[in-house]
Amino acid sequence: MAESDKAERETKKVLRRDFLAGGGAAVAAGALGVCASGAAVTAFTQTPAQVTYPASTGYIVYDSRLCLGCQSCMLACSITHEGEASYSLSRIQVVRDAPSFTKYPLDVVLSVCRQCISPLCVQNCPTGACHVDTANGNIRRVDQSKCIGCQRCIQSCPQRPHRTVWNPAKKKSAKCDLCADAPYWSQKGGPAGKQACVESCVPKALKLVAEAPPQQDINGYDINLAPAAKEGLPKMAPQAAPKTGGA
Amino acid sequence: MANGYAGKILKVNLTKRETSTIETAQYEEFAGGVGIGAALFWDLAVVPGDWDLQDAFDPRNVVSLMTGPLAATGVPGAGRTSISGIAPEPFPTPLFHRTSLGGRFGTMLKQAGWDGVVVQGKADRPVWINILNDKVTIEDARSLWGVNTFETQDQILSMVSGRTRFGEEWQQVGDGYTTARPQIVCIGPVGESMSRVASLIHGSGVSARTGGFGGVLGSKNLKAISVIGTGSIKSADPKGVVDARIWHMQNFARGGGAAGASCCMPCVNPDRKRNSYYGGESMCADQYWFMGDQMRGADVAIKYGICTWCTKFGGAMNAQMPNAPAPFKGTVPMEPGMGWYIKYLYELGVLGPGKKIESHPLPMDQWDKLAFREAFCDAIARKIGIGADLAEGILEAAKKWGRLEEDMNSGALRLPAYGASWHHALPGVDWAYSYILMSGDPMWHGFFTSLSGGGGGGVGGGGGTTAEQLVQKIAAKMAPFSDDPLMLSNCWKGDEARKTGIYSDHKAKMVAWGRRFAGFYNESMSICDMMLPNFGGPSPDVEHRYYQVVTGSKKSLADTIEVGRKIWNMERAIRVMAGRHRDKEVFAPFMFMPGATFNLGMGGKPVYQDGQWSFENQNDLYLDKEGVEYFKTHYYKFEGWEEKTGWPTRKTLEGLGMKKVADVMNAKGRLGA
Repeated sequence: MAESDKAERETKKVLRRDFLAGGGAAVAAGALGVCASGAAVTAFTQTPAQVTYPASTGYIVYDSRLCLGCQSCMLACSITHEGEASYSLSRIQVVRDAPSFTKYPLDVVLSVCRQCISPLCVQNCPTGACHVDTANGNIRRVDQSKCIGCQRCIQSCPQRPHRTVWNPAKKKSAKCDLCADAPYWSQKGGPAGKQACVESCVPKALKLVAEAPPQQDINGYDINLAPAAKEGLPKMAPQAAPKTGGA
Repeated sequence: MANGYAGKILKVNLTKRETSTIETAQYEEFAGGVGIGAALFWDLAVVPGDWDLQDAFDPRNVVSLMTGPLAATGVPGAGRTSISGIAPEPFPTPLFHRTSLGGRFGTMLKQAGWDGVVVQGKADRPVWINILNDKVTIEDARSLWGVNTFETQDQILSMVSGRTRFGEEWQQVGDGYTTARPQIVCIGPVGESMSRVASLIHGSGVSARTGGFGGVLGSKNLKAISVIGTGSIKSADPKGVVDARIWHMQNFARGGGAAGASCCMPCVNPDRKRNSYYGGESMCADQYWFMGDQMRGADVAIKYGICTWCTKFGGAMNAQMPNAPAPFKGTVPMEPGMGWYIKYLYELGVLGPGKKIESHPLPMDQWDKLAFREAFCDAIARKIGIGADLAEGILEAAKKWGRLEEDMNSGALRLPAYGASWHHALPGVDWAYSYILMSGDPMWHGFFTSLSGGGGGGVGGGGGTTAEQLVQKIAAKMAPFSDDPLMLSNCWKGDEARKTGIYSDHKAKMVAWGRRFAGFYNESMSICDMMLPNFGGPSPDVEHRYYQVVTGSKKSLADTIEVGRKIWNMERAIRVMAGRHRDKEVFAPFMFMPGATFNLGMGGKPVYQDGQWSFENQNDLYLDKEGVEYFKTHYYKFEGWEEKTGWPTRKTLEGLGMKKVADVMNAKGRLGA
C-alpha cells in the first residue's frame, strides 16, 4: 500500500455519508438491529462531527472459499472472551446455508468485524464504552464497564449482520477486539498477538494482517488465502464475493 | 452446569402430545450419547415390562437422540448425535441398535439447552417437533408428509426463520439472537412408509443410516425435529478446552477440505468442494450411489431418505480372486448391497420382467441410469411391486424369494451378521466380533487403522516401525490392559490362533477394551470415530484430556474405560431382555470360507507366531467356526457373563452398581448364572 494511501486513510474525515454506508435511514432508537422480518435498522442519534480515528494496526482477513463451516472459530471466540461456548455470543459469525442447499462457494458466509477506518460504533457510543484503544493498536472495542446497553453501536454497524454482538444476559454489547481482552485465552492477544479464531482455524481461512485492506461498501475482507496464493497476499486481490451476505 | 452438559433432556410423548424434562444428572453415570440413550431405553421401555422389545414399529419403542457432554464446547468432532432404540433393519428380528449423525443438530440442541431428545409413543397424525431454546411445540406435519427431505427442511426453515435472509441478519429467539439456521433431522417418503431401510436425514447429506431408524420415526408419525438455540455451554476449564483444541490441531489433526476426502461433515474435516453434489455434504456411503463421476444418484437417495449403505449399488469395491465362489467368475464384490444384489439376480436370469422374481416397476435395463435410482426409491417408498419386498430389507426379500440360503452360502449376500452390510469386518477380527456382539456394524474406524502397517496404507506402522514395536506402542496406551501386547496379535492359523491369536483369551481382552473405549469416547462422548481414536498419534491422551477439561472429572483413563464397561453392560442387558443368547451371536456362512476378507489396502496385521512378531498380509483370512465358539467362551468369561448363554451375571452387574438392572433381568429369568 502506498504511503500516501495510508496517510489518507488514517486522517480520513468521518462525514455524514459514512454514517449512511449501511443504506439505512434513522429509525426508532432503542430497537436492536436484528429482526426476523429482514428490515435493516440503523439509527444515529449523534450529530456527526469532524472526527478522525487512528487506523487499527490489525485486521482479520478471511477466505470464505477455504472455510469449512465448522464454526470452531465461533466457539473459540466465545470461550476465550466469555468463558462459555456460544454461537450467539461469538464476535465472529459463520453461517452455512444448510438446509437451503446453496452450492459452494456461496454456501458459507463469514461475518468478521473489519475494524472500520471510520468506526460508526465508536462514533455513536454515548458513553465512550465503544472506543479506539490506542494502547492496543487502535482496535475498536467495547469497554463493558462503561456500556449502558443502549445498543447504538449495534444499530450503527454498517455491516450485515452487524458485527457488534448483543449479550442478553449481561445486557451489554461486545465486538471483536482481536483478543486484546480475552480472559480465557492463554496467549497474548491484540493486534501484536494471536487471536483465538485464527489459531483454531484448521484450513487457515482466517489471518491477521497489519495493514488495512481496501474497505469497499459494507463488505468485509474476503480474499484469497489458498496456499498457492500466499505469495500474493499483500495485493489482496478481491475474489468474486458471494452475492448474499454482507461479508 | 459447568461440566459440558446442558443439564436436561427433552422427553416427548407423542401419544399424549406431551413434553417434559428429565434432569441429565440422573443419568450422568452413563456419560452421554449411547450410554444415556441405553439407560433411558432401559427405564422407559424395558422396566415397564409390558413389551417384548421385538417390534421396532411398536409405539412403545423409545428412540433417543443424545449428545455427549463434549458437544458444543469447542472440542472438535464431538458434536455427533447418537440415536438408539429398537431398530427395524436387523435380520431375522429387529434389535437394539445405535447409530449416529454429525452435522450441526447436536451442537444446536445443546445451545438450545438440551442434552438430547427422547421420543416415545405415536402421534395420531403427522407431526414435527419445533424446539426454540426451552420452548418446545409439537406442530402439524400433514403438509410435509410425502415431501422429500430437502423440501421438508426448506419448509420448516421458512416456518421457523420466516424471511430472515441467510448470512445477513440476526434472528431473535426468545431473549437471544442468532445468525444460524434451524438444524433439522427429518425423514423422507421411505421412512414415512415404515421401510426398514430408511435413514434420518440432516442437511443435504448428513444422516444416520444403519438400523433403519427412519422407519421408526415414520411409525411414530414424526416427520422432523427442528432446533434453534441461542444459549451456551460451560466447561470446567474453558481455557483448557481452547488450549487442548489448538494443541491437538497443530500437532495431530488432519487438515480439512481436501477434495475427494471421504469425510464429509461440516466439521474440521469436510469437503465443501463436492460442488456437483447437492449441498456439498455427504458420507462415504453415498459413493455407492454415485454413477461414475455423477453424484446425483446420491441426491436421489438422500431426498427419499433411503439408507445409502444397505442399499449400495456397489462400484469399485471388487477384488480379483481366482478361487472365488462360482457365481462371481473370479471377481468378488466386497461390499454388496441391495442395488448390486438385484442386478446380480437380473444377470443370473432369475429377476426381471416376467421372471421368477418379478422386477416391476423397476426398469432393469436402465440399472445404471438415474431413472432407475428414482424408480428404486419410489417403489420402496410406496411399497409397490418389488419395492414392497425390498422395503423389508435385503435378507427378508431374499428369504421371500427363496434365495436366502443359496446366496448367503455363496457370498452374494455378503452380510457378516444380522443382515448388516459388510464394513471392514475382516481381517481385523475385533471389528468382526463386534458385529455379532452388538447388532451389526460397529462403525469404529479409528482403532483398526491404527493397528495396520507393514507395507500397506495403515497409519499405525509406517516409517519402518516393526510389528513388535507397533503392538508395544499401542498396547501401552490400552489401560488397564497395557501389559498384554499379545491381545493385538492377528494370528489366525494353527494352534497359535487359539493360544495367543484371534480365538484366544488375549483377543477377548482386546475386544472388550475396544467396546469399552468406543462405548465411552466415540458413542457416548460422541467423538467422531473417523477423527479419533488415532493410536498412531495422540490417542487416547487427547480424548481423555478433552473429557477432563470439559467435565472437570478427575477420572483416569482406566476409570473412563470402566464407565465404558458399564455402558456396554447396559446395552447387553437390553439385548438380553430382547432375546439375545449365545446361540444367536453367529456369523454368516461366508465368513468361514476363503474370500471372507477384504483388506481395503490397510496394510498388514501384526501377528505373533513361533515366538516372533511380523506383519502379515491377511487377504486370505477367514474364520474357523469352532474357533469363534472358543473365542466366545473366553469373551463371555472375561466380561463376567455366563458362558452358556452370554447373559451378564448378578455379580457382574452389581459390581457395576447395576443391581436394579440385575433384579429386572432376574424377574424375567434372563440373568446369567
